[in-house]
Amino acid sequence: MAANHMEEGLDVTSGSRLVECIVVTPEETALKTPAQFIALPLFDGEIGIAPGRAPLIGRLGHGEMRIVEGKKTLRYYVDGGFVEVSDDLVTVLTNHAIKAEDLDLEALETGLEAARAKPANTEELMEIRDRAVAQSRGQLWVARRNR
Amino acid sequence: MANARALDKRRKSIRNIRKITRTMELIATARFKQAMDRASAASAYTDRITRLVAKLANTGLELSHPLLESHETNENVLQLVLTSNRGLCGGYNGNVLRKGLENNQNLKESFAHLRLEVSGKRGISFFEHRDIHVDERFLHFEDKPSFEDVEVLANRYLEAYATGTIDRLEVCYTKFRSIARQNATVETLLPLGELAHEEAPKVVDSDSVAEGESIIEFLPSAESILEEVVPTSFKVKLFKCFLDAAVSEQVARMVAMKSATENADELIRELSMTYNRARQGQITGELLEVMGGVEALKT
Repeated sequence: MAANHMEEGLDVTSGSRLVECIVVTPEETALKTPAQFIALPLFDGEIGIAPGRAPLIGRLGHGEMRIVEGKKTLRYYVDGGFVEVSDDLVTVLTNHAIKAEDLDLEALETGLEAARAKPANTEELMEIRDRAVAQSRGQLWVARRNR
Repeated sequence: MANARALDKRRKSIRNIRKITRTMELIATARFKQAMDRASAASAYTDRITRLVAKLANTGLELSHPLLESHETNENVLQLVLTSNRGLCGGYNGNVLRKGLENNQNLKESFAHLRLEVSGKRGISFFEHRDIHVDERFLHFEDKPSFEDVEVLANRYLEAYATGTIDRLEVCYTKFRSIARQNATVETLLPLGELAHEEAPKVVDSDSVAEGESIIEFLPSAESILEEVVPTSFKVKLFKCFLDAAVSEQVARMVAMKSATENADELIRELSMTYNRARQGQITGELLEVMGGVEALKT
């Protein structure tokens, strides 16, 4: 299918073909929408998913998820988790999916301070602290970009 | 025969109680539905995680993670008991606390240090009444435990397990099987030995479709994903315990209040009958008196 689009010289993100995007958190199915393009924060860098993506399972980091749907772009903060892509179905499993507008910049700044101040005198504690810091940084970044 | 006035008073008070129990039943029903929806939303997440684990196992990756293995030392154990903040829910708290106390005694025998954490006022007062020290108490888990709150707990347990402060985590809660059946159970959540068991049959299932699925790309790597899957499934499991406890509480309250309302109905019916009889008796008595008086005047 993807090859066909290439042959016809179609841009897959132009909207002629869509992926179905489902965002699931333990509490609810946060979002279910068709999309032309999805950008996700993977554990080690951002990934963009367009229709026709080969099957994939990825580990998410803490950062911004963008869902492009027509002229609209939905922006969320995702808090770790996984993404699974198969047959133009993108399933995002994450602990929290918070709309970028709903993030509170001031609270996050104090959160980052608190995360930085965590003890890190053993390897395990260091890992725990790094995780908390990454989480706060990701949230801050999304919140700042939204300004 | 009791006097009619006293009977009427009693009937009135029973009517009032009935109103209360009936309202509580309706509220519990509504809350139960909400809690049930949340639980099924959570299971959508758990199902996807299990499927993910199955796919991971399919790649031939060896499922090993510090959280899956038990510690060499077995000294510190943490027991978490989930009860409700409110009463009037039948045997709900009684059942889970009986189980919890039994478990508590067993753990005390086999472990040197036991840390007890209790959620819910009922459980806290139960243990305090028996002079058992409660190390940590939670009152903020009502009928809608949020993942955020549970995650705080889960992260603390994960940290404690990783750093070796605890060697085992046991959760005592009411498991929701169906509307008619909820059991008080004890589950060992750490070490999380069950991840491997759960997906063992799944591997067999997915063998038939393995050809199509073997081309899945893992980013950054299957090992890295496993590293994240294990803590996530622990968190979700703990969250599920809280949700199950909340659903079971509402079911228990619903059933208890339903039977209380029915019982009040029965009482009202019986009292009405005796009241009517008493009133009729009174009227007959008065009539007889009047007639007696008339007869006396005639002569």
